[in-house]
Amino acid sequence: MIFPKWTNTLPTMLLGGTLAGLGLVIGLVWYYFTPKYWRTGYMPAQPAVSAAFEQDLFEAARRDSRTPEIPGVMYPGFSHQIHAGKLGMDCRYCHSHIEESAEANIPTVSTCMGCHADGHVNTLFAKAERVQFVRDAWEADAPIEWRRVHKVPDYVRNFPHHVHIHAGVSCLSCHGNIMEQPVVHQVEPLSMGWCLECHRNAEPHLVPRDKVTDLYWVRDHFESTNFRNTSGTGADGAATPGGAALLKALEEKNLHLLPANCGACHY
Amino acid sequence: MSMDQCHSTVGEQPASKPRAASHEQVGTDGRKYWRSVEDLADTPDFREWLEREMPAGASLLLESSRRSFLKLMGASVALAGAATIPGCRRPDHKILPYSREVPEDVIPGKPLFFATSLPLPGGDVEGVLVETHENRPTKIEGNPLHPVNRGKSGLWAQSSILGLYDPDRLKDPVLASLPGDEGSKSRSWDDVAAWFGPHFDRLATKQGQGLWFVVEKRQSPTRDAVRAMVEKRFPRARWVSYDPLHSDAQARALGAVIGKPCRELFKLESADVVVSFDRDLLGLEPGSLVNARGFASRRTVETGAMSRLYVIESSLSITGGRADHRLAMAPSMIPSMVIALAKELASQGLSLPEPVRAALGRTGTPTGVTIDSTFVRELAKDLLKDDQGWARTGRTLVCAGPAQPAGVHALCVAINAALGNIGRTVSYREVTADFASNGAEGLSALTAELEAGRVDTVICIGVNPVYDAPGTIDFASRFAKATHRIVASVDDNETVAASTWRLPMSHWLETWGDAVAIDGTASPIQPMIAPLFGTRSDIEILAMIAGVANPDGYEFLRNVWRERLAGASAGGFEATWKRSLFNGVFAEGTAMAVDATVGARAADQIARLAEAGAPATGENFDVVFAVGNVGDGRFANAAWLHELPEPTTRIAWDNVAMVSVATAVKYGLEQDKATTEHRMARMIELSVGGQSVRLPAWVTPGVPDNTVVVQVGYGRTVCGHVGTGVGFNVYGILPRDGSRSARGASIRRATSGPLSHQIVTTQAHGSMEGRAIVREVDLPAVKKWGSFESNRALLAALPSEKRDRIKYDSYKQERDLNFAEMLGELSHTPANVNAYINPQRGTKTMENAPRGTHPSAATGRPPQPNTLPDFAKRPQWGMTIDLTTCTGCNVCTVACQAENNIPVVGKAEVNKGREMHWIRVDRYFAGPNVANPDSVLFQPVACVQCENAPCETVCPVNATVHGPEGINYMVYNRCIGTRYCANNCPYKVRRFNFFEYGTRKLNGGFIGQETLRGAGIDGPSNVNLIPPRLREQINNIQKLKMNPDVTVRSRGVMEKCTYCIQRINEARIEIKLKNLDYIPDGFVQAACQQACPSGAIVFGDIEDPESTVAKLRNGQRSYSLLGYLNTRPRTTYLLSVRNPNPALITDKHRRHAWDEPFHHGHGPDADHGGHARSGGAMPPEHASASVMGVDTLKRIEDQGYRLSLAVLAGV
Repeated sequence: MIFPKWTNTLPTMLLGGTLAGLGLVIGLVWYYFTPKYWRTGYMPAQPAVSAAFEQDLFEAARRDSRTPEIPGVMYPGFSHQIHAGKLGMDCRYCHSHIEESAEANIPTVSTCMGCHADGHVNTLFAKAERVQFVRDAWEADAPIEWRRVHKVPDYVRNFPHHVHIHAGVSCLSCHGNIMEQPVVHQVEPLSMGWCLECHRNAEPHLVPRDKVTDLYWVRDHFESTNFRNTSGTGADGAATPGGAALLKALEEKNLHLLPANCGACHY
Repeated sequence: MSMDQCHSTVGEQPASKPRAASHEQVGTDGRKYWRSVEDLADTPDFREWLEREMPAGASLLLESSRRSFLKLMGASVALAGAATIPGCRRPDHKILPYSREVPEDVIPGKPLFFATSLPLPGGDVEGVLVETHENRPTKIEGNPLHPVNRGKSGLWAQSSILGLYDPDRLKDPVLASLPGDEGSKSRSWDDVAAWFGPHFDRLATKQGQGLWFVVEKRQSPTRDAVRAMVEKRFPRARWVSYDPLHSDAQARALGAVIGKPCRELFKLESADVVVSFDRDLLGLEPGSLVNARGFASRRTVETGAMSRLYVIESSLSITGGRADHRLAMAPSMIPSMVIALAKELASQGLSLPEPVRAALGRTGTPTGVTIDSTFVRELAKDLLKDDQGWARTGRTLVCAGPAQPAGVHALCVAINAALGNIGRTVSYREVTADFASNGAEGLSALTAELEAGRVDTVICIGVNPVYDAPGTIDFASRFAKATHRIVASVDDNETVAASTWRLPMSHWLETWGDAVAIDGTASPIQPMIAPLFGTRSDIEILAMIAGVANPDGYEFLRNVWRERLAGASAGGFEATWKRSLFNGVFAEGTAMAVDATVGARAADQIARLAEAGAPATGENFDVVFAVGNVGDGRFANAAWLHELPEPTTRIAWDNVAMVSVATAVKYGLEQDKATTEHRMARMIELSVGGQSVRLPAWVTPGVPDNTVVVQVGYGRTVCGHVGTGVGFNVYGILPRDGSRSARGASIRRATSGPLSHQIVTTQAHGSMEGRAIVREVDLPAVKKWGSFESNRALLAALPSEKRDRIKYDSYKQERDLNFAEMLGELSHTPANVNAYINPQRGTKTMENAPRGTHPSAATGRPPQPNTLPDFAKRPQWGMTIDLTTCTGCNVCTVACQAENNIPVVGKAEVNKGREMHWIRVDRYFAGPNVANPDSVLFQPVACVQCENAPCETVCPVNATVHGPEGINYMVYNRCIGTRYCANNCPYKVRRFNFFEYGTRKLNGGFIGQETLRGAGIDGPSNVNLIPPRLREQINNIQKLKMNPDVTVRSRGVMEKCTYCIQRINEARIEIKLKNLDYIPDGFVQAACQQACPSGAIVFGDIEDPESTVAKLRNGQRSYSLLGYLNTRPRTTYLLSVRNPNPALITDKHRRHAWDEPFHHGHGPDADHGGHARSGGAMPPEHASASVMGVDTLKRIEDQGYRLSLAVLAGV
């Protein structure tokens, strides 16, 4: 007997092993080769001003991770948590053309200087050292470089912000709880499947037109994690139109709404 | 001899074999239609061409062997590897907002439109709107408020965006080496000012003695004001306003007859009868936009009486193509024709002034000229009285072109005056004497002065006389005799190369200025973008010469118009100024008052016609100079214009000597070793008065015998990457008076040098195998049959079984066929039954469609399971293209190219059939005579957006799919390049991107060759083997012209027209934002439609019963291209209608078609079962049509149709 008896199980083991390995590979590809894995969580430091400054930003960002502000530790770059969250500034104060243009514009230095110029607003931080880059940019008449976080592929033509805002898709639906992010990161995968999910069933994602940029309202009225407007009433108990009613109002228009065809984005 | 373009069987009918039927085609007006000489001749070469989808060699790599391919692949993989090591990380995209200065009104992501005006050759001006994205101009449209454009635009306006982003532009002032200087080097404008100061001070002390200006001819009040400053400083300087192509003969005649220098303006919309003697009213001449609009307004059958156009011409122009009657005559014979017409008019009672009669009496018909007396008699009759017998006073127009001598123009003025047309269909506008002449006399004087060594400084601004001075003025060789040669130009050119100071001039999109159009409309030129290369405008350069330090064009413009607009309106100057800039118009022009007795002054000029030399007969040739796509040569670096095929020959990337068939036979000008893949044209030597030029000969139908038609503007030697060395320069034989014809020429086959030259033509590309694609009838047939009432009467007279057969259309819907459909195959095609039901059709949108709008709701029948889904929810996009008003001007092609980022592929690739134009203009000749077609038909063909698209069913990756609004989408990122869709497309409108054409240089090589050399790779010929990251470094400036709303496609991807879907989506979003529930008609325009000067293209929602497109589509003239294939195209064509003079039509088949257009068994009353078996059922007229070698064959073809449809239906 050249081969011990256990070798009889070898073919079975090999087959099982191969299948398991194959399954593992498929599983890994399935999970990791998706925008959900590759893109979600992208969190570059903002703004991209100088190498030394960037280093500070990266370290601070790593420290803060994606958690809300740690008491006593302040993120040194631009923080949506402060501006949109604590100060409660409306999104449209900076992203001013979002209702009329496909692009959500990045504010000009002039917009920043509305508060951060010397002698304008004398709060604790408006004149702090860490916002010196704004005043430097103003002096130099040079734009501040920001990093693009949310980007659809080149073969998708301009994600039209204006029409989504108009339809009642809240900022939170795509950008997550932006008012709680010190460093903005990508929350949703922005894949085609993700787009279609809403285009095929928009009902849970719609909010009244005047609440689109009211981030806390949306947070309170949506179900906590996946932002679904189903309740019809908010946390405060007041009656608000639910997604179904909003969708019905939209559909009364004789236009092709919620296009779920190729030509809506790819041309 | 090859049969390729010149066969010796002129006048004979081609011997027909039974299978030749598939290429034969008989028009709906009883005439035969053909696309080229080969087509008619049905040569084996041509048949092979048709049967192969792509020419041989189409699958070969560009100029590259397999061995070098492998070598390069290795190298590029290595390079790509090196370049992509950090490539796993997401690229760091930066966003840069505006900083301190935020531009007014700019909303990032939304284009802004500004009005400005474009000065063009010949003193023409177009008022345009420029689309700017964040202040970067990307697209040019016509200005709706400008009286010349009215929202439409021409070729040169559409393509001038290329000139702005031309990498070959002059960038810095350069002082060439002078004695004591070390070579030429770039300077700054401060250096220029420092040099100009003492130099012009010195000249000013001599009052400008020895100072010459050669300046582009243009009407511009601001430039004139600066000119006055220059002339004040240098009173003895000489000023030449130069334009080589402006006809002095015409200006002289008009000046003498009208009394003042002037230009003429036509109102074709008021003319019932238009007679053009060699004038290309619709072609590339000043005012052609106005003419096309006026002409088209009188060619719409539905809205009133059609006008009638007679063209007697010496070349084959698009005007001649659209004529109701066209006569081809050598230019030297046309004066006899005009004289004959004048005499005939006089004998029919027109009261010409006595001196004119006397002058006419002294003229006779020279020997060798034959005048068609019937034609002249009927033409005169038509000019005097309409068919009701009423006088046509003031409702006609006679005009002559720039190839005609002064006497002809004078005679036309006299005839127009006598016919009462002046002030009604033709008016005159006063211009300066300087503007009226072409400046050749001045240039000639300058040349003499140069020869004598008396010229100190020559300043050339915006002109290129070294290249385009007529051969008899040998400017090029004498230019160097001037001590200082200061040349200001936007582009590099021959004159710049010979200069001492080269000054880069701003493109018109970068300057302040003004311009006056031919109708007198003054309009501002305002900059869209700051000068890209630190250039200065012509006004600023002239002001520097006048001694102004740091001139500002804006201030000059404002100062001039502050005076002119003073008191123009309430609100003061500032308000008027701002409104003028906003509107793009300062003031509209006024016509001169001309008294009706003006004709008498024409006598002197007319009398001189008798002294004209011998007409072109025997060995004596006439040369006609036509203006091609590149104008006088100034647009020669615009690749779009080179790639755009010439309208009638469909030749791209070259100019040729067009000759008639008989001339070619006589002189042996057949192609050399020609195949359909390589068209080698024989070189000829063309000599006029001692000067001669060489160029390839090309046999063109419709060119008269003993006439050579050449296009100017080609053969530039210093131009740029695109235009250098394309074509042949013919300015050497241009007459110095700017007349566009030369007499006494001789031709001979070249015996030395290259004997042949490769010509590429799109003539036979994408042929649709001769089915009834273009449909044309004469007006009497439309009047008789062109209404639903007459069709119903026709149907009622039929036996019931025949009526049943045509009760349903091929979509199994019960409806009356319209007139146009009855003329074609639809009328005898049995109803289609789908072979299968496309599962993709069952969309949610369909189910949601409101039933009330369902077509079946009207008929009361339930939706049929085997019919295609109805697209009921608005909008449903559709287009109509009117073949009656389409002039074949090609503007749609260039407008589409500009809007959709369509690349240019170059000469070699066009030869392989790889041109990328999404909309092409097909050209068909009509009539039995190869040498002299009756007329030409133009048919723009883009994707017709089939509802039942053959391309969609064969795509393995669903890259082309149908949208709910009826558009056949093309998803580039899904496309894997199988090209099945192009194979299956019956219209051949899909374009495949074989290479990265966007980065190829058009004259060999590719942009970025230098970059690759730097990387250690030498001489690869295929740009696609360069890694994308290296390619990206290449030539950033050209990227600026791209439309950001449209993908820039890569290689290996199929592309096609999608009705400008980016505009549709933009419109839909706007409507949603505005809370409207439908898109109003006209809110969204396709780029081709927007540009189309004659308004032939209409686009809109076909479900909206009030929309223009729905009305046209549901009218009597609309038919589907290849509709019997059940593709259900969304683009339909409107039948072409001609309005011939009944008295001049002797062809009995054509006359019969007026009563009975449904000939050749196509009509609803034809016995479908019977006529394949025997022709006995047909009237004798029809039987005799088989003399044309068509009828029997057609019947065989019909059998084929029926068989294939029966198979499809499973019968």
